Amino acid sequence: MRETMSRRHFLTTTGTLILVGQVASTVGPSPLWGAAVAKVGEPAPDFTAPSTKGTPMSLGAYKGKVVVLEWTNHECPYVRKHYETGNMQALQREATGQDVIWLTLISSAKGEQGFVSAAQADELTATRKAAPTAVLLDEKGTVGHLYGATNTPHMYVVDKTGMLVYAGAIDDRPTTRRADVQGATNYVRAALDSVAAGQPVKTPVTRAYGCTVKYS
Amino acid sequence: MMSIRPLAAALVMGLLVSGLLPGSVLAAAPPLVEAPKDGPPRVTVALISDAASIEPGSTFWVGLHQRIASGWHTYWINPGDSGEPPSIEWKLPDGFVAGPIVWPRPERLPVGPFMSFGYEREVVLPIQMTAPASLTIGADVTLRGHASWLVCEKICIPEEADIALSLPVVAGPPAPSTTAPAVEQARRLVPTLSPWAASLSASPETVSIRIAAPGLAAERIAEAWFFPMRWGVIDHAAPQTVAVDRRGITLRSARGQLPQGPASDVDGVLVIQERLDQGPVTQAFTIRAAVGGAATGGSLTLAAAIGLAILGGLILNLMPCVLPVLSIKAIALLSHGHSSPSVVRRHGLAYTVGVLASFSVLAVVLIGLRAGGAEIGWGFQLQSPLVVTALAYVLFALALSLSGLLVIGARLTGLGHGLASRPGYSGTFFTGALATVAATPCTAPFMGAALGFALTQPPFVALAVFEALGLGLALPFLALSLAPTWRRFLPKPGRWMERLRQVLALPLYGSVAWLVWVVSRQAGPEGATLVLAGLVLIALAAWLHHGTRSVSRRWRRAAVALALGCVAAAVALGPIAASSASSAAAAPPRGARWEPFTPERLAELRARGTPVFINATAAWCITCLVNERVALHSPAVADAFARKGVVYLKADWTSKSPKIAALLESFGRSGVPLYVVYGKTLGNPQVLPQVLSERAVIEAVDNL
Repeated sequence: MRETMSRRHFLTTTGTLILVGQVASTVGPSPLWGAAVAKVGEPAPDFTAPSTKGTPMSLGAYKGKVVVLEWTNHECPYVRKHYETGNMQALQREATGQDVIWLTLISSAKGEQGFVSAAQADELTATRKAAPTAVLLDEKGTVGHLYGATNTPHMYVVDKTGMLVYAGAIDDRPTTRRADVQGATNYVRAALDSVAAGQPVKTPVTRAYGCTVKYS
Repeated sequence: MMSIRPLAAALVMGLLVSGLLPGSVLAAAPPLVEAPKDGPPRVTVALISDAASIEPGSTFWVGLHQRIASGWHTYWINPGDSGEPPSIEWKLPDGFVAGPIVWPRPERLPVGPFMSFGYEREVVLPIQMTAPASLTIGADVTLRGHASWLVCEKICIPEEADIALSLPVVAGPPAPSTTAPAVEQARRLVPTLSPWAASLSASPETVSIRIAAPGLAAERIAEAWFFPMRWGVIDHAAPQTVAVDRRGITLRSARGQLPQGPASDVDGVLVIQERLDQGPVTQAFTIRAAVGGAATGGSLTLAAAIGLAILGGLILNLMPCVLPVLSIKAIALLSHGHSSPSVVRRHGLAYTVGVLASFSVLAVVLIGLRAGGAEIGWGFQLQSPLVVTALAYVLFALALSLSGLLVIGARLTGLGHGLASRPGYSGTFFTGALATVAATPCTAPFMGAALGFALTQPPFVALAVFEALGLGLALPFLALSLAPTWRRFLPKPGRWMERLRQVLALPLYGSVAWLVWVVSRQAGPEGATLVLAGLVLIALAAWLHHGTRSVSRRWRRAAVALALGCVAAAVALGPIAASSASSAAAAPPRGARWEPFTPERLAELRARGTPVFINATAAWCITCLVNERVALHSPAVADAFARKGVVYLKADWTSKSPKIAALLESFGRSGVPLYVVYGKTLGNPQVLPQVLSERAVIEAVDNL
């Protein structure tokens, strides 16, 4: 009995040491690795951020609904490719028409490319004829870091149970060429279709492409 | 933003004024929707060539020359966390074929919390171009294309430009162009194929990449970084910790975003910065890391290693160096047929203890020396001509004894009537020791992997594997002694035993002849001659001892004294023989189909994409010599090598060589033989079995 105890004690101690060692070796200056970043296949971390209308909105409020998160920066050539061809707006309409919640997030820090005030953001939505459920302002980058958003556009899909089921690019053509919108495989549309059909998402993680998110 | 524009403008102006871009079109960026309408391009491009003219049907290099505004960067094939590599749409004249962009090694470009892989200031992206044979001499040819790229500082701007280069068609090899140095410089920055095997293993949080690059001095590695070619395997921005040991480099980093570990091999570029006396030197290698750590033999479990060691030990009994020694002992048991089963059993145990004890000594010495930093492995003692000489003397004395010219061997071999009267267990014990010593030149199948594993483990685990090997060696004899019923099948002792003994002396004489040859390889003809003289002295001592048994006591005493003197003289000759230095093994004989192995030569051949066959061998390794005779030196194998353009490198470990020891270790081995085939392209080399057949070699070569 004493032997078992001491062995268990040994195992716990070494286990803890290994854990501490790993955490110590992975925590560094960047919040993108080491910190708890959202992972596909796990519950999507909850967050609260102000919308352009001034109301705080949180992901948790939409439990029971499918949610799309879109990181954006209106000056980024990759974002412009999808807005100036109407590709992004079409997908937003298609999704919200099927009772999907679409949250557009802006994580550009003040003074950086893509940073906008609430009024400017609303004006962009109007002039670009965009159709998100809401645009959320994340100038401190808190939500961006929580989700490990690296690019604009960077897309996420959360299913009705609150699970993160897709993270990555909008489609499979990592270019700024407008012509590439035609004939591309849109990963977000495919993920929404799978979720609607109650099937697992075929390509749950892809390489997001675009401009880096302009965090402070 | 404001500070960038004047800089870029100045750069463009500078280029125009200095006229550095002959025969090229500057990036005449059309007013892109993305780019600020008033800004000049951040990158100016030119198409350059290493040749001043085009020879019909020839292959030459062109390059996309990018001059990048200060603070901005363009991207590598894997751009990192964001970005996009440049691309070229060619509009070439009929018959011209452009290869893919050959990417120079990238730089790490941290942008905020992100990591980009790319180029700053200036880069030339080389592209191989093939001209058709049907060109008209004297005509001018214009190569055209449309290049597009993304250039980023903190913000990103897509740019594009038409590129063109006009060259005259001239018969005969072209002179280098004025831009040839820039193209050649860029090609020098292209990573070379790595000569090393690499493996990758992933845990839920981390990724480890192990590169079997032996012989790198840890204190000289200033920096090492692995740039993966594809996204998601490794977190691009996470730090990579570097551990350098004798067997190579291990890089550890955080896992990438892909939820599953990589299912297929991971290609990438390893950039190593070494501190050399003349300053830091950066080298880049293309690496293919096999998933699951299967690159080297270092992935055995202890149980598997012990199993392999026992199996290897068993097979060792059949090897030509062990068989005579074992036969002698078998005769002894046979001649002992009348004694009780318990005596026979004790002999079996004594033999086993003898084997195990000598293996322990061998293991302790080997592990101890290695702990002290010596680059040695199985059979290391035979790298000393002194040990080889001693072994030759002992086997020669044994052979004389079997021939009936000497009876001092009675105790050692447990032969003759002495055994019938006395138990003679100590003799049996030393037979075990002798079997061990005689076994060292031989590597049986399965042994190599087991011993290679053992020598990477803590001392006690290593000892266990060595003992398992000894147990395997002792097992047949032990089994015979424990199960006395086998004796029923043997003929009755008689004169035939005497004759068998005499016949068995012959393989021992053969072994002696071979050992003298080994000394000749290590210490040259002078050394071998001294050893032969020593053997004559031992024969004289044997005669003095044996042939004077019936003379008067006084004469007998003098004869024995003289015999001892002869032995002492023979022993004294050993170190003298050993000291005659030799470089015999270095140069291949005229007309040989092989070259001596050096790590530099291997790296050079790999860099050129030449297939390579490595034969790690030693004169004292019988398995190696048999393989060379039976498989390697056959005309069919030579044909296969010639057919595939294989360069045959021979790593001769007859004498000590840290470089060859490092080569063996990088494949998880501690001894010879080792046979490795490298293909033309990236990918891990193939290790062939230690018992080689002509077919196995030809098949491996043909599959390249």
